[in-house]
Amino acid sequence: MAKNWLTDINDKLLNWYGIVGFLILWQIAPTIGLIDPQFISPPTTIIAYAWTLMETGDLFIHMAASLQRTFLGLFLAVITAVPLGFILGGWFPGVAKFLRPLMSLLGQINAFSLFPIFILFFGIGEVVKISIIYWSSIWPILFTTIAAVQHVEPIFIKSARSMGAGRGTIFFKVILPGSAPAIFTGIRMGTNVAFLMLIAAEMIGASAGLGWLVHNASMNNVIPRLYVATVSIALLGMGLNYFMRWLESTLVTWKEETAVE
Amino acid sequence: MMSTKIKAESIYRIYKVRNVEGDNSHITNHNGHEGLLALDNVNLEIKQGEFVALVGPSGCGKSTFLDILGGLATPNSGDIYIDGKPVKGPGLDRGIVFQGYALFPWRTIQHNIEFGLEIKGIPKNERKDIALKYLKLVGLEGFENRYPYELSGGMKQRVAIARALAFDPEILLMDEPFGALDAQTREVLQIELLRIWEETHKTIVFVTHSIDEAIFLADRVVIMTARPGKIKSDIRIDLPRPRLEGDLKSSPEFARYRHELWELLRDEVDKAEEQASENIRGAAAHQEEKPAAAWQPQKQSAV
Ligand SMILES: Nc1ncnc2c1ncn2[C@@H]1O[C@H](COP(=O)(O)OP(=O)(O)OP(=O)(O)O)[C@@H](O)[C@H]1O
Ligand SMILES: [Mg+2]
Repeated sequence: MAKNWLTDINDKLLNWYGIVGFLILWQIAPTIGLIDPQFISPPTTIIAYAWTLMETGDLFIHMAASLQRTFLGLFLAVITAVPLGFILGGWFPGVAKFLRPLMSLLGQINAFSLFPIFILFFGIGEVVKISIIYWSSIWPILFTTIAAVQHVEPIFIKSARSMGAGRGTIFFKVILPGSAPAIFTGIRMGTNVAFLMLIAAEMIGASAGLGWLVHNASMNNVIPRLYVATVSIALLGMGLNYFMRWLESTLVTWKEETAVE
Repeated sequence: MMSTKIKAESIYRIYKVRNVEGDNSHITNHNGHEGLLALDNVNLEIKQGEFVALVGPSGCGKSTFLDILGGLATPNSGDIYIDGKPVKGPGLDRGIVFQGYALFPWRTIQHNIEFGLEIKGIPKNERKDIALKYLKLVGLEGFENRYPYELSGGMKQRVAIARALAFDPEILLMDEPFGALDAQTREVLQIELLRIWEETHKTIVFVTHSIDEAIFLADRVVIMTARPGKIKSDIRIDLPRPRLEGDLKSSPEFARYRHELWELLRDEVDKAEEQASENIRGAAAHQEEKPAAAWQPQKQSAV
């Protein structure tokens, strides 16, 4: 019995062993002089520095700035791409097919490379960062929405029709819920890309945000701050991903839990 | 005398198909419609409250016919009448149980059953009462808040039947509803369906591949020919009701019906099999032709 719960705990911790080992190595290597602590600060120094940044509240200000941009851009992308996807996929499949090459070309354009053009149009303010988010998330959301609408099982539509459902009912009660899981996948993909792009954009033109923090740290040669910013970006990105999964599982409750994550 | 509930009058259905080069044996032209003839002058009359089983080889047009009865497809010529009125489209006077359950995975069992009631405009509280009533009728009390993925095949099938019954259609159209189930579950559901039919007095058209199932359930067994689907024979099953006891299937009368139906069906199954292997041969021949076809434009451009 005792062995059982031990293996249980072991199983739960298994995911963490790699991270813990890595942290230990990271701590020891600069401390014993294996690598230059000037370039790679040990985790304890980083944590201490993070603590001061948190005490002054600076870290949260930057996190909030990045998050706000992400959510705003994402929100705008969702409210345009999802209805557009429904219209193209549901009502104008011919137009959708016709536009597909153009859309995948546009989708391939890295938002970051459009940054200078966006700056010409929108100046250097908030709008330009939000348009980066918007551009990088709208395409995956649009593509998956169109595909999701077109791949709702015909038997569901037939079944609804057999019970006298009209076009409107079929749209709201069959196509919309039937395509929700796929659309969520698109939104999650869009979020990941958008967040990466945002950080890069903040490094070029911003006065707040985690990307700016990285840039600022490197300009002023404050290496621990650089690491704090980097780790915060990783954690925030992870948190964002978890949040999206949580949102999906609370809104789409009817799907079988799949073991593969 | 019972009144006529459903009347199918000279139904023709032609599917448009891409023309396969070289093999036009199955392409016909009927009144200017060219394509694959699936239903060829089907005539059928079904009385109020009758239980009719429809059997025939695979691909003979059973689902096609059921879709037409349901108003989900229109025949190329011919008419369907229900209570003497021509059918224009789907309607809540007919409930369909599809080949495969077709439950909405995003709705709980209760809300699946309520779908037709929502369209009928029945208020929420009433809908719930009705849904629970039919859930009880099919023996699934307490499952109202589950989702389809949490149910076994047999349970899903019961829900599909409850959903089709819930908006109280006069006619139930069932397309191989028990085809995917194991023998035991199938038998249980057959008996349950008969009980429900006797309680609700619906008119039922039941498609099946199983002769035994057809004899056990139906007042009449209608046999269709291999494609193009025609009605080959229409056999009245004079077995006593209620047919709830298990040993009916081993009685000599049952065996006699089984023999009679099988004799009628055998030729059609053979013919359907022949058609299938011809299709395979045709497809193979078509593949062999392909390289030759790829040759020709080159030759022409050389000229
Ligand atoms: N949408 C379609 N387009 C073209 N041909 C079709 C279509 N649907 C059915 N067919 C053809 O029409 C014929 C009848 O099909 P149907 O599905 O009605 O057969 P069935 O009797 O229900 O067969 P099964 O017992 O296998 O379910 C078949 O030859 C099939 O290939
Ligand atoms: Mg069929």
